[in-house]
Amino acid sequence: MSVPVMTVPGEPAASLSAAVRASDLRKTYGSGETAVHALGGGEGDNSAGVDVAFEQGAFTAIMGPSGSGKSTLMHCLAGLDAATSGTVWLGGTELTGLRDDELTKLRRERIGFVFQSFNLLPVLDAQDNILLPMQLAGQRPDRAWMDAVIGRLGLRDRLRHRPHELSGGQQQRVAVARALLPRPDVVFADEPTGNLDSHAGAEVLDLLRSSVRETGQTVVMVTHDPVAAAYADRVVLLADGRLAGEVHQPTTDSIINALRGLGA
Amino acid sequence: MRAVTLASIRAHAARLVASTLAIVIAVGFVVATLVLNETARSTILEAAGAEYVDTAVVVTSDSGESLADDVDTLTALDGVQAVAPSWQTSVQAVAPGRSGAQYLLVDSVATDPQLRWQQLADGTLPTGPGQMAISERVGAAVGDVLPVTVYDAEGVGTTTEATVTGVVDLRGDPTAGLYGRAFTTADQAQAWGATDPLELRVAGTPGTDPAALADAVRGALPGAGLTVLTGAEAAEEAAAMLTGDATILTTLLLVFGTVAVLVAGLVIANTFAVLLAQRTRDLALLRCVGATARQIRRSVLGEAVLTGLAASVLGVLAGVGLALAVTAIVGSTDSPVPLSGLTVPPYVVLAGLGVGTLTTLLAAVAPARAATRVAPLAALRPIDPSPLRSKSGVLRLVLGGLLVVPGVGLMALGVLQGDVLIALPGGVLSSLGGLLLAQRAVPPVVAAAGRLLGRFGGVPGKLATGNATRNPRRTAATATALLIGVTLTTAMVVGASSTRATAQAGLVAQYPTDVIVEGNGVPLPASVQGQLEAVDGVVAGAALTGATLVGPDDAGTWSLGVDPDEARPVLRSTTDTTLPELGEVALTPWEAGTWDVRPGDPVTLSAGDRSRTLTVVADDADRTMLNAVDLEALVPEATADTLWLRLADSADQTEVIDEVTDLAGAAVPTAFVTGAASERAAIDEVVDVLLLIVTGLLGVAVLIALIGVGNTLALSVVERRQESGLLRALGLTRGQLRGLLAWEAVLVAGVASVLGVVVGGLYGLVGAASALSDVGEFVLSVPWLQVCAIVLVATVAGLLASVLPARRAAKTPPVAAIAG
Repeated sequence: MSVPVMTVPGEPAASLSAAVRASDLRKTYGSGETAVHALGGGEGDNSAGVDVAFEQGAFTAIMGPSGSGKSTLMHCLAGLDAATSGTVWLGGTELTGLRDDELTKLRRERIGFVFQSFNLLPVLDAQDNILLPMQLAGQRPDRAWMDAVIGRLGLRDRLRHRPHELSGGQQQRVAVARALLPRPDVVFADEPTGNLDSHAGAEVLDLLRSSVRETGQTVVMVTHDPVAAAYADRVVLLADGRLAGEVHQPTTDSIINALRGLGA
Repeated sequence: MRAVTLASIRAHAARLVASTLAIVIAVGFVVATLVLNETARSTILEAAGAEYVDTAVVVTSDSGESLADDVDTLTALDGVQAVAPSWQTSVQAVAPGRSGAQYLLVDSVATDPQLRWQQLADGTLPTGPGQMAISERVGAAVGDVLPVTVYDAEGVGTTTEATVTGVVDLRGDPTAGLYGRAFTTADQAQAWGATDPLELRVAGTPGTDPAALADAVRGALPGAGLTVLTGAEAAEEAAAMLTGDATILTTLLLVFGTVAVLVAGLVIANTFAVLLAQRTRDLALLRCVGATARQIRRSVLGEAVLTGLAASVLGVLAGVGLALAVTAIVGSTDSPVPLSGLTVPPYVVLAGLGVGTLTTLLAAVAPARAATRVAPLAALRPIDPSPLRSKSGVLRLVLGGLLVVPGVGLMALGVLQGDVLIALPGGVLSSLGGLLLAQRAVPPVVAAAGRLLGRFGGVPGKLATGNATRNPRRTAATATALLIGVTLTTAMVVGASSTRATAQAGLVAQYPTDVIVEGNGVPLPASVQGQLEAVDGVVAGAALTGATLVGPDDAGTWSLGVDPDEARPVLRSTTDTTLPELGEVALTPWEAGTWDVRPGDPVTLSAGDRSRTLTVVADDADRTMLNAVDLEALVPEATADTLWLRLADSADQTEVIDEVTDLAGAAVPTAFVTGAASERAAIDEVVDVLLLIVTGLLGVAVLIALIGVGNTLALSVVERRQESGLLRALGLTRGQLRGLLAWEAVLVAGVASVLGVVVGGLYGLVGAASALSDVGEFVLSVPWLQVCAIVLVATVAGLLASVLPARRAAKTPPVAAIAG
């Protein structure tokens, strides 16, 4: 039986063991009258930007209603988008000051991605897709580890197939394999089960969780689905671009309750 | 739907720019060609017809009989104002400042001012004896006094003097630069040897209809062997003789124009295909909302027509502008190309508009149909694009094979038979078939080349290969456009090279002597040989003695004595020239016939009381030749009559010949300098100029094709936004992404250009071999340097075409691409 614990937003989490964290993060699109404050308030606002940390070796989910800024937060954390102000740290490396080339190299080696759709390159087969980030980094994969990952994900007889020859679930599993292979600091998953049926979705979530349990991989997942979020160790809630609470050891029910509490 | 069409054009204007550019270039090219052709025609007509401008009727004698007696008959006719016979002769004159004599064609000036057509640049027309007006080429000025030499039938020359009263401007006459012309009074012309006027020009009284007058003249001169034409008809005929070759040129130019249009069509088809693929969602939405497939097709085609029309208008303007520029350039230099003013007949404008619009429309038909075949909901669903495979491949393969096989057969037949008229249709058939097969043939070649690239290019290389082969139809279309341009350029370059080599070889065999200096009856002093051999550019010389010998028919014949050892290094080839050794003689066909001897027979030649029997070794020589020793034995006092000179290959032929002419003329005023060197240089020049022009023209097609390559890349970059975003997210740097697109471009352009030079080279060799069979033995010549340059240029250009699209792709932040 788990008890939802609400913490006060703004309290810094234990930053020493944080795989990735953000401090006073703001992201604004557009300017002037058409400015959209996706994360944090505006510059002149009293409210601070977003402060959040994600533990190493934990499976964390970021949840919130549409327009809450959860995808924006993930993009900033992963170095895919530049924040308007504030800082992001990946372990001991500050991301927010880096040049594009350095960020790109970082993404290759220390971050893994699983997207909702369009995860794979249609021109490459499954194996090449899995090896892609490592090949871009010019690194050779650990054969034993690669075998383990492929075996764990049940892809061994699908390696030579092109994405259009795979089912949705199989494609996502290939994407997960690709994300896990370089043993990155963090795996970011953006709505990974959004396009899958419940069975395939459960498979993918299981795989993510077991990678956390068995190998200590840090996974940060953005989702709007309470069922998916229940697989995580902790759920961070966002609303209107600000932190709105957390749920530890979540269950589907406790998450739904917490969401209801947001008034969304 | 009209609102949708117009809105679409406005929204996608930027994307249509490249295809618009293709049409502008193609139409501009065609229009420029036609305008230049018309301008040249009217210029030539003006020039060639200058003589007949105010002439009502022209009477020409075809039989060679003099028309002098008919002058009075015609003058007495009703409606005839005046008759001017044309007294023509030729003289040699020495212009001030030059030591050698030059040939002048002398023409009489009409007594009646109405029949005087000469336009004066300076001075006046001659009015009496000892006066002449000259053309600009002669190089003399008003007031100069020139020595004029007239040669009679026996070759004896009489020199008189003539004062230049005026300089005539021959305007656009293409022959103006070839030789000098002199205009004198009829009496003076006759004094200089003009006999038997073969042309009469008749001026009619004011108000007389030329056609009616021509009939009257025809009735008055019933003799056969006469041609009676009105002045306008005569002008057209004269112009037609000059433009005879120009028609071929225009046809050739239009062939290039067709090629450019074809390539533009391919580019547009490609563009529209990709544009529509991008707009699949929009179109599907329209269909969900209620537009029928036919309405959508019509909207797309409407877009094509409007785009094509706008582009064609620009193209016509560009073409006229280009023609104007060419005319201005040609007019400012002193070239013999006849272009003055600008003639733009309405049919040219209509043709340009029609061609451009029609091409765009036809090119958009297939993509339009393909775009509306997708079911509306299927297009709206967000699924990964699966690779597109074309199903109509089999039909194309069969059709292509059916065209290629007989085409190749005809070409082979054409080469064997040496008939270009057989090889040409073979070439057309095989190239049409090849185009159809290219769709199937090119992608595998690209894939194979790509595998090579994948091994060396790392991940970007592999990705590039994958992208290039993912959509075979698009790759093939892009490559085909470039393939056509490169094939034709290579065919021309290789064909011209072999043509030049073959023509030169033939010329060298027929005229093996670079320069011949003849004394023309006056012996050449011994010092002259040394002088001429010392000229910069002359590498060897041989002197031939000359004397009159008596043959078996007791008639004298001028014979040359040659030392084979001295002469052999001077001649470029001895295949057609036999140098007689001791005891041998080479006869001219006339002598061999008259003396009834054949090679192998003996013939006795004598001089004075000495005689020698020699064996005939040839009966096709230009001059009778025997060994110098034999000639000396017969005529010990024989002196040098002819000098053969050989020029250095790298020398400026014209300059050296001019210097030789001056030196020879200074030593022997009657010296005559000729030789094949100048002809060979002229051929080289002509081929070079033609090649330059042709390559430039084909460059247009290649340019359009390259625009197509860049266009395809740009559009495919937009198509692959998500992919690029994913790659960037996964760790591909901006530089690597640019490299990826560059590799793609290089792959497609490289394969297209290599295939193109191979096929083009073959076509060029086949064309030259079949066309030159009667010039001489075919000499294969492949200009490897130029061929490699073509491949390099095409590939690099393809690379450059990828720069802008690549930069745009690299600028997109990763997340924008994924989310979008």
